[in-house]
Order: sequence, then C-alpha cells, then structure tokens
Amino acid sequence: MSLPPRPPAPSTPSLARPAVEAAPAFEGSVTDGRDRIVLSGVTKRFPTLAWPALDHVDLVIERGSFFTVIGPSGAGKSTLLRVLAGLVPPDAGEVSVFGEAPAEAARAKHLGWVPQSPALLPWRTVLENVRLPLEVNKRAGCEERDPEEILARLGLRQASSMLPAHLSGGMRQRVAIARAFAFAPALLLMDEPFGALDEMTREHVAHLLLELWQAERPTVVFVTHSVTEAVVLSDRVAVIGEGKLTAPVDISLPRPRPEGVEDTAPFHELAGELRSRLKRAFIATGT
Amino acid sequence: MRRVPEVLRPAIWGPPVVAFGLLLVIWQVLAQHDRFLLPTVGSVWDQLTHDPTTYLYNAGVTLSEAIPGVAISYVVALLLALAMTQSRLVTRALLPLAVVLNVTPLIAIAPALVVAFSFSRTPRIVLVALITFFPALINSLAGLRSADPQAMEVLETLHASRWETLWRLQLPSSLPYLFAAARVVVPLSIVGAAVAEMVSPGVSNGLGWLINSASQNSELDIAWAGIVTLVVFGLVTMAIVVVTESRVLHWRGFR
Repeated sequence: MSLPPRPPAPSTPSLARPAVEAAPAFEGSVTDGRDRIVLSGVTKRFPTLAWPALDHVDLVIERGSFFTVIGPSGAGKSTLLRVLAGLVPPDAGEVSVFGEAPAEAARAKHLGWVPQSPALLPWRTVLENVRLPLEVNKRAGCEERDPEEILARLGLRQASSMLPAHLSGGMRQRVAIARAFAFAPALLLMDEPFGALDEMTREHVAHLLLELWQAERPTVVFVTHSVTEAVVLSDRVAVIGEGKLTAPVDISLPRPRPEGVEDTAPFHELAGELRSRLKRAFIATGT
Repeated sequence: MRRVPEVLRPAIWGPPVVAFGLLLVIWQVLAQHDRFLLPTVGSVWDQLTHDPTTYLYNAGVTLSEAIPGVAISYVVALLLALAMTQSRLVTRALLPLAVVLNVTPLIAIAPALVVAFSFSRTPRIVLVALITFFPALINSLAGLRSADPQAMEVLETLHASRWETLWRLQLPSSLPYLFAAARVVVPLSIVGAAVAEMVSPGVSNGLGWLINSASQNSELDIAWAGIVTLVVFGLVTMAIVVVTESRVLHWRGFR
C-alpha cells in the first residue's frame, strides 16, 4: 500500500510557524486516517506489572509532526512505541499507522526504529550499518536515501569506513539515526535514543536529529525522560503515567528552534507545565 | 622508537619457558631414576629426529580421521542449532538426546562402530564426530541466541525474513561462540581420533595405534615420541584456530 506524499519541508525557516493544533477527537474507523496515526482504546497488560502498561490510550498524531511521550520508568512509554512498531500486539483497541495496521506498515517498510542502544552490527562498518535497511525486505521497494549523504549531514563522513568499536557513544547513536533515515520511513519510532549519552553529547545529537527531521519531515514518535529534550524537539508532548496518557501539550515554539531556545521564557513556561504533569505521574506510579 | 610486540617481551615468554625447562629437568631426573617410568628426554628426541617419517605418516592418519570428524560434527551441530532456534518443540525434543549423548561413554562403543562401519577409517571419524558434537552444539546454540535483541527488533520492524535475520545478524553473532568451541573441540578431535585408534579392533596405523603398540612392547621412547607428536599437532591446530579467529573476528579486537 502506498502512502500519500509527506508535507513538503519548508524551504525557508519560518519563525512564526503555527503551533500544532491539538489533535481533534478522532471519529470513525481508525483505518480512515491515512494522514495520521491513530490509537483508539489501546490497552496492554503484562503479567508482571500491577497496572496496565497502556490503559485505554486514545491518541492522534498528525503526519509530519514530532510527537514526544515522556513519563516515569515503567509508565508505559516504551510499550506505546512497541505497539506502534507492531513488536507487541495490544490486548484491546485499534492502532492505525497512516491507515495501515502496524504489521502492514512494517511489511511495507514504513517504520524506522531507533532503540535505546544503537544496536549496530559490530562486524559492519558505519556505512554498511547504515545500508542495512536497504539490504533487507527488498520487495517492499522503499524510497532510498544516499547513506553517505545522510552520514555527512550527521557529521560522520570521515567515519563511514570505521567499525562501531572505534566510535564514541554519541557517534554510534548518530549512526543509528542515519540507519533509520536511510530508507525514508514514514514513521520514525525512537525509544530513549539519547539515554546513555552525556548532557553535551545529548544536546549535540538532538540538534543534528532536529536538522535532519526538518529536512526530511518523517513523523516521529519519540520517548524520553528529559523534559528539556522533549520541549526542544517536539511539536507536541504527552505525559504517560500508569499506562494513562494525558492530553498532549502543544509546544508553540518557532521552528527551526533557534540556538539558545532553552533560555527563553516560553520554553521555561512549557517545561514548567510538563514538569508539573510529570510530577503527578511520578506520584501516581509511586516511583 | 618501534614498539616491541607483546609476545617478544621477556615478561611474557620467560615464565612459560622456565616452567617448560623445569618440567624437562624433572622428567630427566625421573627417567634416570627409573627407566620403566619414563624414557630419557634424549631418547625421545632421538626417536623423533632419526625416524620423523613414521611419526609424520601416523600423525597424517590421525589428522585424516580428526578433521573430517570435527567438520561433520560442526556442520550437524550448526544445522541442529538452527532448527532448535526456530522451534521450541525441536529444542525440547533434541536437547535431552544431546545430553544423553554427552554422558554416554563413547569410547566404549568404538568396537560396535567397527562392526557397523567395517575396518575402514569411518568408525573412527564417526567416533570423533560424536565426541566433539556436544560442545559444538551447545556453543552453536548459545551463539545463535546471542544476537543483540535490540538489533533483532530493528530487523523485525523492517520485516526482514527469517533467512535475512539469520544471515545478517544471528550467524555473524554466533561466530565468537563457534571459535571459542573450536579452541576446545579441534584439539579434542585429535585426542579423540588417537583414542579411537587405541580401542578400535583391526587398526594398524595412526598415532593412537603407534602409542598403544609401542607401550605393549615396552618401547617407551617410541610411545612418548608418539605422545609428543600428538601434543605438537594439538598445539598447531589450536594455533591455526586462534589465528583464523583473530582474522575473522578482527572487529572484536577493539572492544
């Protein structure tokens, strides 16, 4: 199944980019939404967890937007991502990724997955790792990007023939991002990809990701523990606690996010709002 | 200034050389004290240098049983491990059988193998394959299961086929385990072949046969020259495994 074209990347950066509208309540069958990701009443329980990992989650994510889920450990963030990736089937509810079930989306190579660790293959060079998605499931016939160009955009041109063991943690994570962008997936699922990096490297890699996203504009669902990262990167941020997703907060900051956006008053206001929601989620989960 | 390779530093080669020298001295003292306990170092050396062809020929026979045996063992073990990683049912069915095989006194079935496969080299090759099978299977299984689960998920979200996942991720991930097993299994195959030659009826060549018949004739210098040849070939095959491993798994050297 082919997908409708992505929204074009803005040719000139607009400081007055309109805030992303709060997702309207989605009505009708979830498979209608070819321009959005829709979760409807999604519930998932694990026998080892006292509360549901996902508890009747309703969510609409617009195509081309950057959506972040933030919450305490064990709140259901990663489960939400895994349900969207088709790695975990929900116990109840429906999931539609641009009109397709997650399994169909994976079959058509519409999904990019960036796990917590870079998960690079240590025997392949950086370039070979980035090419990996282009070498498997060739029948899906995805839209290909030049791996070397993506590496160059992430500042890794010199490292393309190196083995992962020669790279720093930040470089490895950039390779994992390049691998996900190499086949131009419609939906990029990122599960705390910067969790193991130090603060400065984290900021650097996050800005590189933002630049690449701005140019390519895949829809991103991003999971993180960091409020700052969530606000810097996202169009909308939702807090999850005990499997319950709160209404997303619109991040009405201009794009592209200027250098030093973290020091502005609107940024602090949004971060404060998210922190207070996060605090409530922490109290709820008792973590 | 050029850096001296690690192996050339006296601190590295000194201790094993001193230990080996001490061993030879103790050996010589014991041999001179009781010539039926051990032959002298010199008499063993004389045997090896005066008639090297005998030892090389018999070593060749033993290797011609050990190498096919270990190769068959590895291929069968890898194929079974692949089947076991694809199906829990197959694992449940086959793993207990492999454990039974491991605790079976395989040397005791050598005469029965001769009955089954005649007086050719086949029963000894089969015995080597049986002796080396269990470590090869367990390591193949551990290796195939050692693939990074997060990399598995990356391939799953790309809808990679089972074959693609196996070829691009699981098999390369299993190589360190296969080489670790080979370090044990390859020298073991030579010992296994020699023991098979000792216990199989109708055998008239191979280092195992040479050692056995020399011992029965109280020709301890020949028996020990045969044992030394076994040790040398065990070390050489292990060195080949180690060098091949360092070449194939060059990406691990930087960890």
